[in-house]
Amino acid sequence: MKVNVMEKATVVIIGGGATGLGILRDLSMRGVKALLVEKKDLGNGASSRYHGLLHSGGRYAVKDKEAARECIIENKILRKVGKSCVEPCGGMFTRLDIDDEAYEELWVKGCADSGIEATPITLDEALKLEPRLSRKHLKSAYLVPDAAIDGFRMAWQLIDSSKRYGGQFKTYTEVIGFDTVNGELRGVKVRNQFTGEKYEIACDIAVNAAGGWAGIIGKMAGVEIGVQPDKGTLIAFNQRIVNHVVNRLHKSSDGDIFVPHGSITILGTSSMSIPDPENTSTSREEVENLIKIGEQTFEDLRDFRILRTFAGSRPLYIPPGGAVGRSASRGFAIVDHECDGLKGLFTIVGGKFTTFRLMAEKICNQICAKLKVDTPCRTAEEPFIEEVSQADKDKAKKYFPSYGMELAADRLGAERFKKVVERLESNPESRELVCECENVTRAEVEEISKDDTSFNVDDVRRRTRIGMGTCQGTFCALRASAIFADTCGESTAKDSLIRLREFLQGRWKGIRPVLFGRTLRETEMTRAIYELSMNVTGGKPR
Amino acid sequence: MKISDVIIIGGGLAGLMAASVAANRRQKVTVLTYGSGSLPLASGAIDFLNTESPEAAIKNLPAHHPYKKIGVKNIDTAAKFFCHITSQANLIYNGKISAQIPIVTAVGTLKYSSLVPESMNATKLKSKKKIFVANVKGLKDFYASMLVDNLKKYFPDKTFEIAPLDLNLMGGRDITCLSAAQILTGNEKILADGLKKLNATEDDAIIIPPILGLEGNISRAEVKSQIRADIIETTCLPPSPPGIRLQRALMKYLQKSGVRFHENSKVIHGTAEGKKITGVIIGSGIREKFFPAKKIILATGGFYSGGLTMREFDNPKEPIFDLPVFFPTGAENWSNENLFGDKPQGFSMTGIFTNDNLNPVDENGKVLYENLHVIGANLGGVDFIHEHSAGGVAISSAHKAAMI
Repeated sequence: MKVNVMEKATVVIIGGGATGLGILRDLSMRGVKALLVEKKDLGNGASSRYHGLLHSGGRYAVKDKEAARECIIENKILRKVGKSCVEPCGGMFTRLDIDDEAYEELWVKGCADSGIEATPITLDEALKLEPRLSRKHLKSAYLVPDAAIDGFRMAWQLIDSSKRYGGQFKTYTEVIGFDTVNGELRGVKVRNQFTGEKYEIACDIAVNAAGGWAGIIGKMAGVEIGVQPDKGTLIAFNQRIVNHVVNRLHKSSDGDIFVPHGSITILGTSSMSIPDPENTSTSREEVENLIKIGEQTFEDLRDFRILRTFAGSRPLYIPPGGAVGRSASRGFAIVDHECDGLKGLFTIVGGKFTTFRLMAEKICNQICAKLKVDTPCRTAEEPFIEEVSQADKDKAKKYFPSYGMELAADRLGAERFKKVVERLESNPESRELVCECENVTRAEVEEISKDDTSFNVDDVRRRTRIGMGTCQGTFCALRASAIFADTCGESTAKDSLIRLREFLQGRWKGIRPVLFGRTLRETEMTRAIYELSMNVTGGKPR
Repeated sequence: MKISDVIIIGGGLAGLMAASVAANRRQKVTVLTYGSGSLPLASGAIDFLNTESPEAAIKNLPAHHPYKKIGVKNIDTAAKFFCHITSQANLIYNGKISAQIPIVTAVGTLKYSSLVPESMNATKLKSKKKIFVANVKGLKDFYASMLVDNLKKYFPDKTFEIAPLDLNLMGGRDITCLSAAQILTGNEKILADGLKKLNATEDDAIIIPPILGLEGNISRAEVKSQIRADIIETTCLPPSPPGIRLQRALMKYLQKSGVRFHENSKVIHGTAEGKKITGVIIGSGIREKFFPAKKIILATGGFYSGGLTMREFDNPKEPIFDLPVFFPTGAENWSNENLFGDKPQGFSMTGIFTNDNLNPVDENGKVLYENLHVIGANLGGVDFIHEHSAGGVAISSAHKAAMI
């Protein structure tokens, strides 16, 4: 298949997850012309479909001390450079009566060996900090420096950071093949997902950072990559059930981590090998299983309203003859495919969200050595974005509801925050809340909608958090679809009804497997509003 | 506590309608409610079925459908009685069960219902030359451009104009249609003056969000007397003024009829002697209170209102009398892949099965309680949202149960 060369970059990065974005940022900061392609929106794979836990390393302290050490170092770095993506809520490890007591000893030692500060606390203290913990089952508790981190927000902040150094990216651009001549890479062939247009991006080096999809990309280049997509299912609850990340102190298993995010809590995860990384649908059995395990830690768990369930495909690295599933390493591997007879292609696979920056640094060191670039890595020193100044916050305060200003400042960063505040100043109508659940103003939705990388309302959701809270889009769907149709770029399809239905359908996918309890109530409300009051399925003119 | 002729549990459309019918029979009626019912959420229009003549379509429904148990004649009587009592509160409904009337939704689609508030009746749009769509400054949840984009698909040949309308609503943060309706009650002049500026004629229509007050037709009549064009209200996101107008109209009728109304009264269970319910017990905090009755009408709604609950899969409950609940088993039958689609949703078909008198029955069709009647969204076997019959089933089952 011959396609025209339309673009050129020194390095093309395949995959818009944390790893790929980390590489884009790192290379750009070192002055290498890099371009990232992602077949959907940023963070579409495991980088957003996970529990949003910034590991202290405690979870790996027994099984994999090296991974644990990397986690605690990266944890400290990300708290600093990605401050507004991180909620420094702290973490707790809790051992229940059904958990192996001997494991606790190993774990305490593992933490000490890995440099993770694990502070034992009394049961009373633990219950004071986390009053919903099961009094019946709780046997011991420790505090660790876990934190929560927002994957979508980090993705876009990494883009903002990369752009400052000339980094480029294209979303909804799928890789369809490679151009090689005599075992040497010349370019990457891609297809625009909306227009169907195919073209080639010429490059010296391509990095396969496609996560769960790395094997598929490898196949296109004719190289074998040991990656097993491994599905992790999670449940989002409507309330903040915990104030800390609460982990079970036992051998890592399903459903043993609770992570608070703003006003919600995420419970995860499962681990299930899947043939197709794309198919991350979840079943009610998986949900039941997670809840049953979760109920051991929090006995009243079932009475909290569930918002939705979702699943991601972890890219577990399988070295030749290695283990799969939970026993597979959470470590990562870098492959220079020159050894397979293809000069110019690299693959990075495995690893964890928490250590994405380190993974990027390591592969960028190798790439830069090849390119004879000797600029050192600075990604651990420079913040992703410039933070909103106190002066700007003070000025903006009056335009936002209650704590909405702080949330917006964290979401937007200094530059975009200023633009949103300008809108709020000049048009009082833009001060209305499009999303009451997450405190998102019309001005913010307008600002993100007009961005040329926002192709649908879901793209706007991922960057603003509209539709992610209590009502799961029931109220903001109509508003956001209307605003999007009014403000989106010329090239974007505008039919507001299609946008509206597609947005609610996206939310529905995650609601179906958890359709019991109070979620049923919310669903019936959504249907009553949109099927009856709005008749969104339209019907023919009579 | 004196014994009631009938106790109605639930203050939604079905409960209020049942109470009205029973009161009209000069019965001693007690209504026990918890929460505000689902009317503030509703469009205000009453759907019977999504077809040009619901009346004609009813005979083709399966035997388990509530309409089959109620009967066409009773459904028609219920619809007429509904229009009669709402008109007493100056809330005018147009239509009949053998036809449908279009209304304009907030997103600009047309929707057809059998009984619609006169203020929303969009029949005349067809004959209008020009359609103005008011873009009310500072009003949330009404997007004139979206409405026009979609409404144009029904009326490609008409002229549309988005007309800015400043009703002086700015200043607060979020003004919903409900706040605007409250502000305009008694201040209709602001709206009339604004609309006058459009110079619209008899040949035109002006589409506005549902902000014409909260008391029946009063604000509308006031504005209409000053404007030559037809004024047509749309539906809106909740809280919905047309739904609240209906709730108020029914409440007014009940108050006038001497119905005893107990709000914030959550019925926790009933007491029975054999096949007869003797009364219900409400629990409010630590105190419990017994209400005796000769007859009980259960109008507690479906999953939305808590008339049905389901804490775990495949185990739905009716929490007051622990009635058997019909439900489709298994994940594949519980919900459809598409939220909006051509098929009814299994979970929404969940509910209680009854005999022709709307008495709850067990899986063998045996009546469980002879003086207990189940109405509205509690009823099982049908997805009322999918077939656009929620309002019609509510008022007609209410009418039937109250007449027994």
